[in-house]
Amino acid sequence: MIHFVIVGLLVVVMTVLTYFGLDAAGLADQMHPVAASAQSASIDQLWHWEVMVVSFLFSLIVAPIIYSLIVFRQKKGEMKDGEHMEGNTNLEIGWTVGPLIIVVVFAYLGAYSLGEVRRVDPEALVINVKARQFTWTFEYPEYGIVSEELHLPVDKQVVLKMESADVIHSFWVPEFRLKQDIVPGRVTEYRVTPTLEGNYKVRCTELCGMSHYSMEGPIVVSSQADYDAWIMEQQALAAAAQTPEGQGKLLTVRNGCIGCHSVDGTPMTGPTWFNLAGSEVALADGTTVIADDAFLAESILDPNAKIVAGFQSPSVMPPYALTDEEIANLIAYIKTLK
Amino acid sequence: MKGFFSSALARGLFWQLIGTLVGAGLVTGIRALMGLTATDTFFFTEPAWVLGGFLGVLFFLVGSGVTSDWIKWARGIDTPDHHEDHHTGWDKYANVSLDHKVIGIQYTLVALALISIGGLFALIFRAELAASQLQFLTLDIKLFGQNGPQLYNTLMSLHGMIMIVSILLGISGIINYVVPLLLGAQDMAFPRLNAFSYWIAVPAAVLLLMSLVLGGFDTGWTGYPPLSARAPVGMQMFFLGVFTAGWSSILGSLNVLVTVVRMRSKGMTAMRMPILVWAAIATSLIALTATQLIGLSFQSVMFQRLFGMGFYDAAKGGNPVLFQHLFWFYSHPAVYVFILPGLGVISELLPVFVRKPLFGYRWIAMSSLGIALVGFVVWAHHMFTSGMNEYLRVPFMYSTLLVAVPTGVKFFSWVATLWKGKISTPTPMLFVLGGIIVFLMGGLSGPPNATVSTDLHLHDTYFIVGHFHDTIFGGFVFPFFAAIYYWFPKATGRRMNETLGKIHFWLMTPSFFVLTFGMMYVGLLGMRRRIADYDPALGIDSAHLVLTIAGFLIALSVLIFFYNFFKSIKSGEKAEGNVWNSRSPEWQVPSPMPVHNYEQPFEVVGEPYDYGLKDAGYVKFIEPDKGTHK
Amino acid sequence: MSHSQDKSSALGQGVVIFVYLAVLTVLEFFVAVSFEAVPLLLVVAVIKAALVMYYYMHIYKLNQEDGTDEHSYEYKTGSNRLGLWLFLLSDAFVFGGLMVMRVNLLGNTRPEALNQVLGLLVTAVLLVSSFFMNRGETAMAHGDTKSFMNNTLITFVLGLGFFLGVIFVEWPEAAHEGLTVFSGTPATGPMGGVFYFMTGMHAFHVLTGLIFLAVVWNNARKGIYTAEKHWGVEAAAVYWHFVDLVWIFFYPALYLIGTAVALK
Ligand code: HEA
Ligand code: HEA
Ligand code: HEC
Ligand code: CUA
Ligand SMILES: [Cu+2]
Repeated sequence: MIHFVIVGLLVVVMTVLTYFGLDAAGLADQMHPVAASAQSASIDQLWHWEVMVVSFLFSLIVAPIIYSLIVFRQKKGEMKDGEHMEGNTNLEIGWTVGPLIIVVVFAYLGAYSLGEVRRVDPEALVINVKARQFTWTFEYPEYGIVSEELHLPVDKQVVLKMESADVIHSFWVPEFRLKQDIVPGRVTEYRVTPTLEGNYKVRCTELCGMSHYSMEGPIVVSSQADYDAWIMEQQALAAAAQTPEGQGKLLTVRNGCIGCHSVDGTPMTGPTWFNLAGSEVALADGTTVIADDAFLAESILDPNAKIVAGFQSPSVMPPYALTDEEIANLIAYIKTLK
Repeated sequence: MKGFFSSALARGLFWQLIGTLVGAGLVTGIRALMGLTATDTFFFTEPAWVLGGFLGVLFFLVGSGVTSDWIKWARGIDTPDHHEDHHTGWDKYANVSLDHKVIGIQYTLVALALISIGGLFALIFRAELAASQLQFLTLDIKLFGQNGPQLYNTLMSLHGMIMIVSILLGISGIINYVVPLLLGAQDMAFPRLNAFSYWIAVPAAVLLLMSLVLGGFDTGWTGYPPLSARAPVGMQMFFLGVFTAGWSSILGSLNVLVTVVRMRSKGMTAMRMPILVWAAIATSLIALTATQLIGLSFQSVMFQRLFGMGFYDAAKGGNPVLFQHLFWFYSHPAVYVFILPGLGVISELLPVFVRKPLFGYRWIAMSSLGIALVGFVVWAHHMFTSGMNEYLRVPFMYSTLLVAVPTGVKFFSWVATLWKGKISTPTPMLFVLGGIIVFLMGGLSGPPNATVSTDLHLHDTYFIVGHFHDTIFGGFVFPFFAAIYYWFPKATGRRMNETLGKIHFWLMTPSFFVLTFGMMYVGLLGMRRRIADYDPALGIDSAHLVLTIAGFLIALSVLIFFYNFFKSIKSGEKAEGNVWNSRSPEWQVPSPMPVHNYEQPFEVVGEPYDYGLKDAGYVKFIEPDKGTHK
Repeated sequence: MSHSQDKSSALGQGVVIFVYLAVLTVLEFFVAVSFEAVPLLLVVAVIKAALVMYYYMHIYKLNQEDGTDEHSYEYKTGSNRLGLWLFLLSDAFVFGGLMVMRVNLLGNTRPEALNQVLGLLVTAVLLVSSFFMNRGETAMAHGDTKSFMNNTLITFVLGLGFFLGVIFVEWPEAAHEGLTVFSGTPATGPMGGVFYFMTGMHAFHVLTGLIFLAVVWNNARKGIYTAEKHWGVEAAAVYWHFVDLVWIFFYPALYLIGTAVALK
């Protein structure tokens, strides 16, 4: 009997220690990093309960094991067998039913919490998201804006209608706690109500190829006023960009080119465009070519036609079906990068 | 070693090479005749590599000689039931043998080799992850036609799959060596099929490694299309390799099931079988059936790439999510394939070192089946964010959480087994205890993934990575080492060194806790899976450095194990009797195990784990009947 | 081995079962042509499958007593039988997976390009081949090697006809009608892919079955089978019926259920 009392106490002590240990590591109370959405509240709440139950169950098993190891040890030179106990049906039923109850309760809480997370606001702001190897593009259909940054007003539900141009990606903002895959051929939905102003990042969480690691995009959550100001500014920029160069720059955002090509010389997945036009380009087959308009156009329409030295074949760059005018605009823009 | 070049292994590999060239050459020739491009980046074109890879496997099998009896049977020629092994020493393991003990050891050796290779890959990419920014896998290096991040993806994906294959081979090793002995059988039901199941895994491993040098692949071990439909040729080698390894698993488990049903000793009723046998049954049931679906899912992507069938191509009306269903229909139950034998080993060894009967034998036996059966209906918990039908998420959450119940039964029964025992802790027992606690950590990190709303945060982060390294180490790696330390004397007649064994344990376990706990920690902070580089703004650089160091310490402990293993084979302390004072039949006869197992058959006359009960035998050897002796 | 039935009643049973199967197939066809009744078709297919499994593949033999001497031929045959059935169970998961793919990708549609007469014809050929396979096996179980060889030869020819018919008649014709391997649109689903994958996997099994038949036929020619010892024959027969069994489900899945959708 005394054994049971001691172990019982041990379990309690250990549960408390485990729980506070996890809390000290910052992992028990809420998930990390900061919670920045209305949805995260119910998720963090569930997590909190889970950590408590897990700490208890862990201790419930580990404490008696450690106790047994110390107290019921074979002494040196002793060659005795333990007590002959074959089993106990009541106990077995008990530790089947007990966990069963916990499980059912947690499944219920999980379903409840999911319901909270999925609560729909019919007034939600709609933004279209286009994911492609390895960039994010955001389109505000109401305002005719396309941007590589996602700006959101605080405390207002938004629904992202997400599409992929190539493979599966996944939209995750750790601070929002939510994640949704983006599957080619269908539109998936991501609903979130940001509650904390600040700068975050969307991080692609589905392996989508070579540069999956760098598929991150900036998110700015700001007050309604700042958000409105940003919209105005973007509209003005779009209006100003009526030159071929301006259009070309927009196209590089819209088509995700800048996910792989830098405009300032920093190395990325693809070769930089800085000082590209007119230069001599070494190709993988050992020859060189002058980067004239024809070469640039060919590189965009059929990336495999000529592979630049140092890059793998087949090219990771997808072929783009763009109109002649769009190609011309792109080239005009690339030419400005000196 | 001098016999190596004439061994079945060397012959098989040679013929695999020839087969690959023949297949690839054939396609190349036909393409040339048809006026299609004949060569590509990796010399041959993709169809050529695929046929080459496939023929390579067939040539290996025929060339190594493992199919020669079957070919004779097909021609109507009978062959003797058993072939005497005339190879000795290591040569025995490089040649085809029909003896389940030899095959079990062959499996184990290949599993250890693959763990080393997979582990080495982990060390390489862990070194890359030690700090943010690309360290040495940079954008401008080029190796095997891949730049740094691509190479990261390949190494990471291969790490996953090679480790998984090594688990499948490792459990086959234990089951093959031990189960027939526990049953009192002379061999498996189908010795040739058994050899075949082992030998087919060898070319499979070669194919997997070939994918590394053929451009690699960047999909992770899950190979989701459409990405896998556009990855380099390495992808196809990976598919073929897994497909081939799958056959090893299917045929092996078929053999185990028939053996258990048909070859038990007299008196061994279902409830008197050693508990490991129950685990083997549950595992085999899963492996026999579900494995076909990973084969089918990979095969369909393979065909999509070769022939343009648009199963997963949205433009042709295909459905990428369908692949995930097919894939996880195997790959979830597969995780129980990994652990059930390990948990069986834990249940099998605990009573020996606690000197007490296994508490609740029936419940433990049934919980294995329960885990296996429930395991078939939970697969979609890997797809909570995949865009599958929203409402399916709740029933899958329920079914997933339900698995905790039978698993819990095992844990509580183990605790009750330890209670009031007379516990001793030699190396195998240490690994058993380590396995229990590590698996508990892994298991308990499962329910947070299973509740949908928390999984929305946790999915595809390092939290998941931590979860499954815990379950896999607890459910497989620790018990596997326990099994090796425990049955080593049976196989070799020598013991492994206790001190080195203890160092192995006490180095590996804490490092391992650091590794997986750290993984969960960085995961919660925003560390995604499968990334070659992470955002320094997350502030997890130093945590990652610690993780890398822990990973290297685990590797060091494994190296110590290897030293101990090979040293002890030659010069370990002699141990010919019942080393662990066990009741199990295989320990009642001398070690190393005689070639035909039991000279006298035995009859089961009691319960398997009646420790602490005087004069309660488990098996009784049947004296040969002098009257009818021929 | 004791024979519960004499030879003529065993052969007679084979005929009766064949008639049942044939009638059910015709019924199935007309049901499908005249109105949409997927559940009914499923019931018919399950009944056919049950008949084949019980009478032609004699699944009940799994339960047969076979002594305790582990080294006897009978005991080993028992083990082999269990092994074969486990293999078939495993293989069934491949075909089950293919069915799942078909249902998921094509839903309630099917390619119009398929020639219904041809479909019914190949189905009939396969069914008749199963009938002869059963006769052959029954003959061997009664020690009649000669009759076994004749019947197996017929089975083989019919099987070969099925195989060649699928690959060289059905496939080109379907392709000609627009059902090419890569045909498919978001509206129709990848019909070509699914059709060729399913029929291709089935044809592959037919091919292995043919090889198996050729092997046992050749061995019978050498006279190595007797009424007591002919496991090879039994295995080949059971495998052959299994291939037929799969087609019992594939045929309605590809030809009969859903609305026909044109691709051209
Ligand atoms: C050995 C392998 C193994 C095992 C045994 C498990 C066991 C479990 N796993 Fe795990 N899992 C993996 C290997 C394994 N897993 C792998 C490899 C992946 C990642 C795949 C990939 O994407 O690459 C994964 C991913 C994974 C996911 C997907 C996460 C994601 O990607 O978003 C989920 C979600 O539900 C999950 C859940 C569970 C659960 C509930 C269990 C349960 O079976 C655990 C049951 C055990 C216990 C709960 C502990 C003991 C029980 C008690 C003490 C009783 C009382 C307990 C309660 C009442 C809770 N696992
Ligand atoms: C058996 C299963 C198993 C084992 C044992 C391990 C062991 C280890 N694993 Fe891994 N791991 C997986 C299965 C396993 N893993 C799976 C399935 C994935 C998912 C892949 C995916 O996402 O697709 C994964 C992914 C994975 C990741 C995530 C990668 C990513 O998402 O980007 C990481 C990161 O740290 C990691 C680390 C490690 C480390 C440090 C070890 C260490 O324990 C390794 C220790 C080293 C050894 C055991 C080798 C020791 C031997 C030698 C050094 C001798 C070498 C000598 C010769 C070759 C002769 N693993
Ligand atoms: C997935 C990454 C990726 C995307 C997206 C991408 N590219 Fe590229 N691009 C590459 C790579 C890698 C190369 C070098 C290999 C090659 O020559 O194909 C390249 C080469 C080029 C070149 C030749 C550059 C040189 O230095 O000679 C041009 C021009 C180019 N891309 C333009 C574009 C445009 C315009 C877009 C968008 C409409 C785009 N790329 C989108 C990866 C990408
Ligand atoms: Cu997009 Cu990863
Ligand atoms: Cu799972």
